Amino acid sequence: MLTLERITKRFGGLTAVRAVDLEVGAGELLGIIGPNGAGKTTLFNVISGYYAPEEGRVLFQGQDVTGRAPHAISRLGLTRTFQIVKPFGNLSVSDNVMIGALTRLGSTREARAEAERVIALCGLGPYATARAKALPVALRKRLEVARALATRPRLLLLDEVMAGLNPSELAGIIDLIRRVHAEGVTLIVIEHIMAAMMRLAQRIIMLHHGEKIAEGTPAEITRDRRVIDAYLGEEFTLAQA
Amino acid sequence: MTRLPPGRWAAVVLFGAAALTPLVVRDSFILDSVILILLWGALSAGWNIAGGYAGQVSLGHAAFFGLGAYAAALMSARYQQSPWLGLLVGVALSMCAGALIGYLSNRLRGPYFALSTIAFAEVLRIVASRWRGFTAGSEGVPVPYRPGFWTLGLSHVAWLYLILAVALGCYALQVYLERSRVGYQLAGVREDEDAAEALGIATRRLKIKAIMVSAAVTSLCGSLWAQYVGFVDPAHVFSIDLSIRFALNSIIGGIGTALGPFLGSVLITSLETYLRATFSGIPGFSGTYLIIYGVVLILIVRFAPEGLTGIAARWRLRRARAHA
Repeated sequence: MLTLERITKRFGGLTAVRAVDLEVGAGELLGIIGPNGAGKTTLFNVISGYYAPEEGRVLFQGQDVTGRAPHAISRLGLTRTFQIVKPFGNLSVSDNVMIGALTRLGSTREARAEAERVIALCGLGPYATARAKALPVALRKRLEVARALATRPRLLLLDEVMAGLNPSELAGIIDLIRRVHAEGVTLIVIEHIMAAMMRLAQRIIMLHHGEKIAEGTPAEITRDRRVIDAYLGEEFTLAQA
Repeated sequence: MTRLPPGRWAAVVLFGAAALTPLVVRDSFILDSVILILLWGALSAGWNIAGGYAGQVSLGHAAFFGLGAYAAALMSARYQQSPWLGLLVGVALSMCAGALIGYLSNRLRGPYFALSTIAFAEVLRIVASRWRGFTAGSEGVPVPYRPGFWTLGLSHVAWLYLILAVALGCYALQVYLERSRVGYQLAGVREDEDAAEALGIATRRLKIKAIMVSAAVTSLCGSLWAQYVGFVDPAHVFSIDLSIRFALNSIIGGIGTALGPFLGSVLITSLETYLRATFSGIPGFSGTYLIIYGVVLILIVRFAPEGLTGIAARWRLRRARAHA
């Protein structure tokens, strides 16, 4: 589904992502972890076309999409959500999602119907007519997912959709991610919350200073010495004991 | 019969009243006022396509107005051709200029974009003032009056219906932008370009298209204005005063709404006409209208930042709550 070949992205003297290779199969649910500034979001920006990498190639379904515009990549079926949510604030929830659906659908009527379906799937039904900027954080994160889903992606990049949520909201969004995955969407998820990641991801990669330093199943990752040193720290080791 | 939303009713009343005016009055001052209200409304609607619907606030739309005005005026005065031909030339030139401005909007955001549009209009003003051999420079171009539709030498009543048709066209174009696929996509671009891109919207191309359409409408109205008023000079047609006026009508009426530019024009154009007529006769007070005009603008921006359509929406909401 997605292949990254030695992706390197620099900002001036700073190398945010260094020679990252990655292979994601169809139907997979991959997690990306790493401390702040590890280059996770930068990697997403490269994959989805917001940044052109200095080196390396991005292949989506065998097609080289390196350096293409985000909208072109999105139309191929690869889209993303934003860590800092970007709702169309002055529009209703329904209109937000409908704009996503309009990319594939020509008529506003079909797009409205598709938006209703996606809104129901994401549990936003009661808020369909609310202005997006009036929503609390947890619902804005859901809206972010709903809007992306309305484009009918094959591969969806979720950038910290769980950050800042309370435990019950967290359970809700994990449930939503599982349902999306069950519908056949391949997912790459950036997340800080390890407990959630352990429950969700089939495979996890860890970035540190822009490099991929570990890769494996959740169980393998938590046992990896480099991961524990770089990220989880002593407290985690103690908690595990 | 399906019920029309309140904004549509207001539009029916407004355009209906304009259409009926010539049947009731023959006074050329009143006809002239109605024509100008409709024309400034149509111009603001043109601005609103870029500034309101696409969110690309330009303060240089006089550039397109001036191109249209000069194209029509020179075509009839210099080449003795139909001003309609000049109108088409103006629209073509303005769309090219719009593509250039649209390209700028992809490089510059917000205030920087607005500043660059001012500069663009200024450049055209200077060119028109200095290129004496072609434009007659700052003396301006008097437009010859030759009666007939093809030469746009029309009576007040005929002008009123022509401009009304243009205004209705502008209104319809905006309604289309509220309901159509491209309209929703434009709203996405206005709200957040990055998010719109992620949803597969070609934001740069869409913005350029919106600005080109906006430029075409502005230019078309500029051509008609030149033929109606009968005189074109660079200091006026390329002035920032005009650019601000297009923006102001929309902002006061309700930016990004179909009716807003026309409501704004009703208020601003009639207020200006009335104040000017009232104070210009009194020695020492001829500039007073500008002060009053300014105070009214400040009051509106302070108390109704969403414009007149915003006030109406608030009233309706309050009444609906009172009923509930």
